Amino acid sequence: MRFFNMPPQIFRLVLLIFAIVVSYLAGRTLLTPATFRDHGFYRGAALVELAGKIPVFAGKNACGVRHPEILKTLAKGSHKTLSCEGCHGVVSQSHLDDPADKMRKPPAEICLRCHEVNPSRPAGFKQIMRNDHYEGACLECHLPHEPNEAPPEPDKAPAGSDKESPEPGKAAPEPDTTSPEPNKEP
Amino acid sequence: MLATIGGVFAGLLALPLAHSIKRRFRSTTAPSDYDPTQHKWLMCVDVDKCIGCGLCADACKTENHVPEATHYFRTWIERYVIRKPAVDSGKARGEVLVDSPNGGRGGFQQTLVPKQDILKSFFVPKLCNLCEASPCTQVCPVGATFDAPDGAVLVDPTYCIGCGFCIQACPYGCRFLNPVTRTAEKCTLCYHRITRGLKPACVEVCPTQARVFGDLKHPVENDPLLAFVMKNKVNTLKPHLGTKPRVLYANLDKEVR
Repeated sequence: MRFFNMPPQIFRLVLLIFAIVVSYLAGRTLLTPATFRDHGFYRGAALVELAGKIPVFAGKNACGVRHPEILKTLAKGSHKTLSCEGCHGVVSQSHLDDPADKMRKPPAEICLRCHEVNPSRPAGFKQIMRNDHYEGACLECHLPHEPNEAPPEPDKAPAGSDKESPEPGKAAPEPDTTSPEPNKEP
Repeated sequence: MLATIGGVFAGLLALPLAHSIKRRFRSTTAPSDYDPTQHKWLMCVDVDKCIGCGLCADACKTENHVPEATHYFRTWIERYVIRKPAVDSGKARGEVLVDSPNGGRGGFQQTLVPKQDILKSFFVPKLCNLCEASPCTQVCPVGATFDAPDGAVLVDPTYCIGCGFCIQACPYGCRFLNPVTRTAEKCTLCYHRITRGLKPACVEVCPTQARVFGDLKHPVENDPLLAFVMKNKVNTLKPHLGTKPRVLYANLDKEVR
């Protein structure tokens, strides 16, 4: 029998095309993720997922919550733009759980990473040649938190000073000093 | 005919699955009060301040869990060494040598060019240029990489099929294929940090403020980004390609490619 007075093969063709279009529309509606086209041609939920990753670095402000004096000291000298974690490493969970488990004291290689002479560094940036300049015993003469100050004479150094003892591997039990060195050289 | 009806039924059965996916996306650790349309992030670079310490490249790898192998970088530093011209060549500048050993991670060793031959040398940190007309988002066949409303160019890691079109398309070479997830990956401006009010890891650790980051829609007091654009004459990388990169470089030499 003829439907709508169409030849049967035309009718079958119309049905087929209709079926294809309907299944495409159904598939598209049902298989597209819910948040697609929220902000553009992408899954809007991706923004949420990417924002939901957990940060690793704590950031200088986070260190400043518990160590405001050190940040204040740092802000006075040339190292004021440095971040704590750049030298001390990422704040570890063990330090957060037990503050007595201190962050590492940076080795001399950290100082040399920036201050070793290199012709590509900008002019005016303080650089030294390791072999001509005491071969990496930086902390014997320099205070990393107060780079513009000279450390006190060894016999006048107060307890709890920032200066690290020359022997490596010896843990420094004193807390970091909070105020500028009282026995500074004039 | 019957096959079509069967197909529609199968589609209808997928409906509850779509709903459960929606529920899962709602419960994440993302900051719930962040509205991407209210921010416009931008990072700028001052080439004259970069000392090539490589802390940014290291921090980025740590922060974003980038695979350790040497050629996967979301951000890296290039060293340019411009030699003095040959005596009778009549040129102002000589050969330009570019290297990026391990992307600048761990700092740079001395260049092999002898010091007396060097006319000029500097470091250029590089990252995603946050293009306005980004070719990488244009070529994605599935809509997995996109320009977020707040200026970051992001990759949806669950949607990406790893075809690599975007990696080919980026003229700045800032994308790579993560071998573990087998999806495209790139600098996301540490999206998970900036949505929480932190700075990207590279900006956080940069010791000389060579990298400057800020929100153009909400400048803070003494905003470093505003100071940067006020103080410096700026340039962009590869302007001739028409990608309209938004990342601004101060003191950019013409030899930087």
